[in-house]
Amino acid sequence: MSETLDLTLRVWRQPGADVAGKYVEYKLTGISTHMSFLEMLDVLNEQLHAQGDEMIAFDHDCREGICGMCSLMINGQAHGPDTGTTTCQLHMRRFKNGDTIVVEPWRAQAFPVIRDLVVDRSAFDRIIEKGGFISVSTGNAPEANAIPVPAPVQETAMDAAACIGCGACVAACKNASAMLFVSAKVSHLSTLPQGKPERSSRVQNMVAQMDLEGFGNCTNTEECSAACPAEISISNIARMNREYMRAKLCSKE
Amino acid sequence: MVTKSAEKQQPSPSASGKSATKWIMTLLSSSLGQKFVMGITGLLLCGFLVVHLAGNLLVYVGADAYNTYAHDLHSMLLLPVAEVGLFLLLFAHIALAFKLTSDNRKARHISYHEKQSKIEEPPSFFGKTPMGRTSSWMFLSGSIILIFLIVHMIDMKLHLNPAVTYTVETPEGVIEADPYSIIVQVLGSWSAAVYIIGTIILGFHLSHGFWSAFQSLGLNHPKYTPWIRKFAILFAAVIAIGFASLPIWGLFIH
Repeated sequence: MSETLDLTLRVWRQPGADVAGKYVEYKLTGISTHMSFLEMLDVLNEQLHAQGDEMIAFDHDCREGICGMCSLMINGQAHGPDTGTTTCQLHMRRFKNGDTIVVEPWRAQAFPVIRDLVVDRSAFDRIIEKGGFISVSTGNAPEANAIPVPAPVQETAMDAAACIGCGACVAACKNASAMLFVSAKVSHLSTLPQGKPERSSRVQNMVAQMDLEGFGNCTNTEECSAACPAEISISNIARMNREYMRAKLCSKE
Repeated sequence: MVTKSAEKQQPSPSASGKSATKWIMTLLSSSLGQKFVMGITGLLLCGFLVVHLAGNLLVYVGADAYNTYAHDLHSMLLLPVAEVGLFLLLFAHIALAFKLTSDNRKARHISYHEKQSKIEEPPSFFGKTPMGRTSSWMFLSGSIILIFLIVHMIDMKLHLNPAVTYTVETPEGVIEADPYSIIVQVLGSWSAAVYIIGTIILGFHLSHGFWSAFQSLGLNHPKYTPWIRKFAILFAAVIAIGFASLPIWGLFIH
């Protein structure tokens, strides 16, 4: 049996990148508890559209929790109150009737607001361009056992590769640091044999770009990992620190 | 100790050695390199705390033991060198703290209307906000420790505390009071409160700083990290209780 909720939403509204923004309150009635958080915003947008008001801009794509497109700081928590999940997988049954929900965009110097709740996360793309790949000559698929990769190494690499690049780590960190994201990418590739040849240049170039983008520093508060929908561990940050020092002190690059 | 010698080279790279020092400069200007220096200096300062506490606990043995220790320590030829080293460690740690904190504030240029932690923790005074964790106020605790250190230097090194008599009159003339009588005077006065607060805040700073240093140095391992984190709490408690016991002893027991 479906219950319905009456809610008050306080949403950050900002018409454009260089325009001042403010919080605007909206009253919503009869929201089904079966709705996802984004569907609730869709309902609100339909109402705003019907009234002839500007709709709220927010990022979304797959709505299956795997693309990393949705964001939102919901009541001060990246992707809402649940752990290991994205905003699109957050359901309204998580809220109580009469709740006031504060919705904010990711806040970071490196993630400027484009409009309302949409931020520009292309800083992440520029970091990836600096080394979040392996250079291989493509051709026929190689024989599967040509390069042995022990199962624990595969697991470590896969756990890091689970990062969907949503930016919740930056949003949750008090320093707006991107260490968890960058370390996940560095760990994913540098633990696998295919990533080893570019190991030293990768970490140095990616860290240099991360610093250039204006992300903060890591103070090991672990908020990033707690907010991460893919539950990336901070052990990756230590691995990146290790990789970076190894590259700086021991490699010729 | 590549990082330390590099620090000195940074301000004046010679024209010929520019390419040789370039990688060091990139390292020390990077976020990771600075956190590395922060971790190394922090751990070395922890080493100093152990020695300093061990020496000071000699007050419990007696005035003679303490005075002999203080006298032997200060007659060591290399002590000024060690003191300069200690000052450089402190300076690097504090200067980087200001630099990194200012960077971090810039990175989060607009603060959130509301911020809640997702870390499962027992309920604290601060509720669900991240401020319930010592890691959230390392700069604040560090600043309080810095103020405490300045007071400590005025009391024990510069001998400028007006409530303390640093000299004694003897038949041979006015001579410097022995270290034991100075420490008893300082810890028996109102300054004791400053020492208790300062050392307890130091404990909170260490409870996060100790394991955090290992993480910044890349020393994370599923077998050892849980022990390092437990040891950090134990280490912080021993240092804080050990040092805080001195003013409590000076105030109530001595």
